[in-house]
Amino acid sequence: MALSGVEIFKLLPKTNCKKCGHPTCLAFAMKLAQRQATLDACPDVSDEAKRVLGEASAPPVRPITFGSGDKAVKMGEETVLFRHEKKFVNPCAFAVEVKDTLSESEITKKIEDVLASEIDRVGQKLRIDAIAITNASGDKGKFEAAAKLVSSKAPNTPVILSTTDTAAAEAAIKLFSGKRPILYGANSSNADAMANIAKTEKAILGVTAHGLEDLSNLTEKIKALGVEDMVIDAGSVKAKDILGNNTLIRRAATKKNFKPLGYPVINFVQRDDTLLELLVAGIAVTKYSSVIVLSSIEKWKNLVLFTLRQNIYTDPQVPMQVEQKIYNIGEPKPESPLMITTNFSLTYFIVSGEVENSKVPSRLAVMDCEGLSVLTAWAAGKFTATKIAQFITESGIEKDISHKELIIPGYVAILSGSIEDKLEGWKVTVGPREANGLPAFLKARAA
Amino acid sequence: MAFVASKETYSGKVYQVNIGTGANAANLGGENVLPFHSFEGTVPNKPVIAYEIQDVPPTDWPENVQKPYSSVSGDPVAWAKFCQDNLKAKAIALRLLGTHPDRENRSPEVAAKTVKDVLSAINVPLIILGSNHAEKDAPVLVAAAEAAKDRNCIIGKAQEANYKTIVAAAMANNHKLIAMSELDINLSKQLNILITQMGFDKERLVTDPMCSALGYGLEYTYSVMERIRLAALTQNDLTMQPPMLADVGMYVWKIKEAQAPESEMPLWGNTEERGIAWEATTATALLVSGAELLIMRHPRAIEAVEKLIEELV
Amino acid sequence: MLIIGEKLSIIAKRVREAMMKKDKGPIQEIAISQWKAGAGMIDANIGPAEDGGEDLMQWMVTTIQAVVPLPVCLDTTNSSALEAGLKVHNSQWGKPLINSTSNDPERFPILELGAKYNAQVIGLTVGKGGLPADAEERAAIAAEIMARAMEYGVPLEDIYLDPLVLQIATSQDHARHVIKAIKMFQEMNDPPMKTVVGLSNISNGCPKTLRPILNRYYFMLLMLEGLTAAIADAHEMAEVTKTYDVMMGKTLYAHSYLEM
Repeated sequence: MALSGVEIFKLLPKTNCKKCGHPTCLAFAMKLAQRQATLDACPDVSDEAKRVLGEASAPPVRPITFGSGDKAVKMGEETVLFRHEKKFVNPCAFAVEVKDTLSESEITKKIEDVLASEIDRVGQKLRIDAIAITNASGDKGKFEAAAKLVSSKAPNTPVILSTTDTAAAEAAIKLFSGKRPILYGANSSNADAMANIAKTEKAILGVTAHGLEDLSNLTEKIKALGVEDMVIDAGSVKAKDILGNNTLIRRAATKKNFKPLGYPVINFVQRDDTLLELLVAGIAVTKYSSVIVLSSIEKWKNLVLFTLRQNIYTDPQVPMQVEQKIYNIGEPKPESPLMITTNFSLTYFIVSGEVENSKVPSRLAVMDCEGLSVLTAWAAGKFTATKIAQFITESGIEKDISHKELIIPGYVAILSGSIEDKLEGWKVTVGPREANGLPAFLKARAA
Repeated sequence: MAFVASKETYSGKVYQVNIGTGANAANLGGENVLPFHSFEGTVPNKPVIAYEIQDVPPTDWPENVQKPYSSVSGDPVAWAKFCQDNLKAKAIALRLLGTHPDRENRSPEVAAKTVKDVLSAINVPLIILGSNHAEKDAPVLVAAAEAAKDRNCIIGKAQEANYKTIVAAAMANNHKLIAMSELDINLSKQLNILITQMGFDKERLVTDPMCSALGYGLEYTYSVMERIRLAALTQNDLTMQPPMLADVGMYVWKIKEAQAPESEMPLWGNTEERGIAWEATTATALLVSGAELLIMRHPRAIEAVEKLIEELV
Repeated sequence: MLIIGEKLSIIAKRVREAMMKKDKGPIQEIAISQWKAGAGMIDANIGPAEDGGEDLMQWMVTTIQAVVPLPVCLDTTNSSALEAGLKVHNSQWGKPLINSTSNDPERFPILELGAKYNAQVIGLTVGKGGLPADAEERAAIAAEIMARAMEYGVPLEDIYLDPLVLQIATSQDHARHVIKAIKMFQEMNDPPMKTVVGLSNISNGCPKTLRPILNRYYFMLLMLEGLTAAIADAHEMAEVTKTYDVMMGKTLYAHSYLEM
């Protein structure tokens, strides 16, 4: 485990000189512990302290950047086993396999699919992150040719070169100089040569072994050879092994600070059955994988995977938010009721669900309150009469409806007069306090 | 540094709940480890997937998931037999949607007859669900529980607003019971406590912490399930040890991604595959977070999840 | 232990009505009753107070201080209402306390008010969007707030760090994170940083019969970690503080210690 603020504090000069911009050494130590400050801010820290802190502050799963430029992917840095404890840090990367046995046009098609895979979802740009070129032919020339095609057509996409043949690896990796590719295929029989190539080319080394014991021994050996950045694979193929090995790896790293397994995990989930492949990838997404290699990337499949990844990697401390706008529920008519609530997603899901249950077509105005629930947003000054009035006015909803009545949550009944003052000509009605009162409330009005 | 696998021993276990009768009865739960963690404990039973059917034609389902049942879905008995005989369903979940006051508003007696007819046609376990109208569900589930007496069904869902009558009916007719709360681990525990305080055996409960679809709050259900399971295993919390239900189909097939045509959403790809994948992936995430019983709709989604389960055990 | 009497909140119906009608009676009655029960300061929570917040806060401060010789904790998100209240605050019984600044840029200017009016300021250890996950994240935010207080010229002795108590019914893990944060906050400066909590939030949403139990036991745990102040119902806490003082040898025991 990383050092706590107090442990770090013991290594600082304890002069409270404020040169780092913090009032005390301990305050600075707290920031260091959260990795929101770096040790260089302290001009007086000893070399000994630097060394100890450097080692101890290394996160349990090594941070590694895969690829370069805009499309580079951050991996590692995870600290927990369960997402409710603390946010999972770096979302996994999806890669598609390009076998070097494919024809040039087939490879080109795959590359184009990768380049066209980007979609926008809830404000994030999501895409198939990487291409995994595999040396299925066993032929060095074919591998190099496939790599050439990828490097020329997708020069910015991070690449995994998968081969156990060191000559093939050496030839292909030159095409990705300075681009931080993953060279996957280091095993107990080729480790020295592969480590050498990875070191020379500053590549990330993909290390594979049968089982966790062999894998640990191998990463230690490779580290001793001077390679720091690795992604690891315990030879997991079946979903059961992916789940089991990935769990044991994450536990060893985060609970025991076991360095030989403190690396991001790569999983290969290719199946003939694309739907099953998707589900196995789902196991890898939920269970700690950092790179997932797929055989096919249909658009529907990508959408599912991107969404799952987004769900799992959401920060449980940051309330998930829905977009501010006026949502139609059912097919509302101009005279249908208009309600307002905040954009905390759970509030939205439950309120809209209850409105749906009521079968009364309605409009639900969802206002951006930084994802707070109604009462909290009100207390924090984010769900106030002025802001509500401004939102309703700017939404332009007036032209779609034949009434000027706004239903507000019962918890903020206090706002009704004030909203009426600020929204000229509008009537404000106080709805139920809890969402489950909505069906009865709406039906009674409709009757 | 030699590697030593860090294995957990848990102080609690999930109750094993038996459903159905005869040769096709099934067991839910029974494991003493987190989902599929067979490397450190025992997992005696695979999760069970129930095919969802309803007492009225599924006109509210999207076209792509109506299709596989188009020849049988006009009649719940034929539909149930089709699932059991043709699709090899291991369990069936009959939703009495027609009793909802805004649907056909069928009486409890009519619902009870449907239950009887379906039960006489099948021999796999049956889950009997109301229309999710707290008030109406109470008399409907009472009548249904009587009609299904001694067939060891699961009755549901008992919620905070209506649990008393439903618990009594399940108890009187020897059924298992689904206790549902809305995405709140503390309320889920509270409801289980209230139900057992009525004299209902906690080892006959199934907890439904409320499902959500992929992209629509799935992470909430996921984490609530993980936390329930951790409380059951690491704190040996007896009130949190019933197996869990994920009512997947109902939540998935109403969202936009499960039905928007490709013509409108070209970046989203094939509509039918997307809907199936959405249901199967939602189910997968909830399996790894702790569900032992799933209710699903599309035969291909169920088939894929069953294949995955085979790979996981 | 400083108890900041919490009963004057716009969330309570009786208080809200008195505030709307500018009816001094109930406000003064509550203030006196909190003072008599041991409160050393009175919290005046007027909510976001968009309309007429300035008038309302001034009215509250003068109404309270007309009958109790205590400083007031000015509790609102509206900074012009805060300023108006600070202008009329009578500081002969102690400095006013502003509730609150935080790590949200919208709340930074509140420190300016603290410096300008020589007021104490509560630093709520939350940022914009999202709650701190644990004690360590709270401490990191505290460090941020402390640095900013120095920048704005508010002495650290005038800052009360508030780790944000959350509801036990929905955020159980935070109960212990807050306990740990209270300890960590103090360690962050010498002399130790002052700390404060909004105590009753721990039991928000719980059944009425449970609330005093949760509030009191939680208060005892926080005191043990060195909590400086709590916004709480002085009546509810009197027994706890007296018992704590006896247990810790801070007052001499007698059978009637609770009546003293």
